[in-house]
Amino acid sequence: MSEEESSNELEGGFQINWMILRDADTGNIIWQENKDFSSSKTEHQAYVPVKILDLRAVSREINFSTTTEMENFRLDQKVLFKGRILEEWFFEMGFVGANTTNTWQSTIEAAPESQMMPAKVLNGNVTIETHFYDKQDLITKSVVRLFYV
Amino acid sequence: MLKGLLTLLRKIRPNTDKEARILLIGLDNAGKTTLLKQLASEEVTQVTPTAGFNIKSVAAEGFKLNVWDIGGQDKIRAYWRNYFENTDMLIYVIDCTDRNRLSETGDELLSILSDERLRGVPLLVFANKQDLPTAMSASEVAEKIKLVELENRTWQIQACSAIKGDGVKDGMNWACKNIKKN
Repeated sequence: MSEEESSNELEGGFQINWMILRDADTGNIIWQENKDFSSSKTEHQAYVPVKILDLRAVSREINFSTTTEMENFRLDQKVLFKGRILEEWFFEMGFVGANTTNTWQSTIEAAPESQMMPAKVLNGNVTIETHFYDKQDLITKSVVRLFYV
Repeated sequence: MLKGLLTLLRKIRPNTDKEARILLIGLDNAGKTTLLKQLASEEVTQVTPTAGFNIKSVAAEGFKLNVWDIGGQDKIRAYWRNYFENTDMLIYVIDCTDRNRLSETGDELLSILSDERLRGVPLLVFANKQDLPTAMSASEVAEKIKLVELENRTWQIQACSAIKGDGVKDGMNWACKNIKKN
């Protein structure tokens, strides 16, 4: 089965409920959007306050629901600048029960060099891409493009 | 000055390898998610029952910490065992105002501890909800659930109020010092 086919089969039972970006030091919410970001065909846009660039660490939080049981659920999240990987996180959760709602939050202390890039350079050029898998099968992916306002 | 989970990561780091896992379990309404949010300095006023899990992953300088908060409702307790593997610290949260379910929570804990995959994993029990007047003390809970009879286990019970934050730091300091060395 191709990646595309298996993705269509599972996607109906999987949904992203919300995404939140937080200042990791204070826990304060910087940006939140309550919608399904998992629609693979659309790229989503997030308008975040420019002060986010001064933060030492930003937490990215995804809340999702699944109606089907998953044997080995895992995800891969990348932060890209013009398609180049700045950060990448692989996470394996393993078993996920049917009809559950779950949250995964990741916090990576930013590398000093990426903090130095000015907002106008980054603006519209940074994406957060999250791929969700069960075993080898892609369930769905979410792409969020960041704009600094 | 670092705060939240990154601080925790720094404290654990010298003791372990590339990655550490803390497993947070306990009956429903024990306060696990509130505790986790308190650790991350997040707002704790709007916490809803966890119908699955909440995971917080932090990384700095190539070292990772994953904290797993697994829902405690009866129907999802069966899932707990799926997450025992590779645990470096077990944190068990008890609602000290829930006298009716004290024996149930004690039995669940003993059952978990008998699992081979948790052998040698240190145990921190948070005696939660100490901000409420009806809460049993940590020592009363320890005695009633027979913690003192545990053999071959490094353990500690810590009185706390997850919602106010009291005692949470002390407990986590113990957890950082005693986390299983890989």
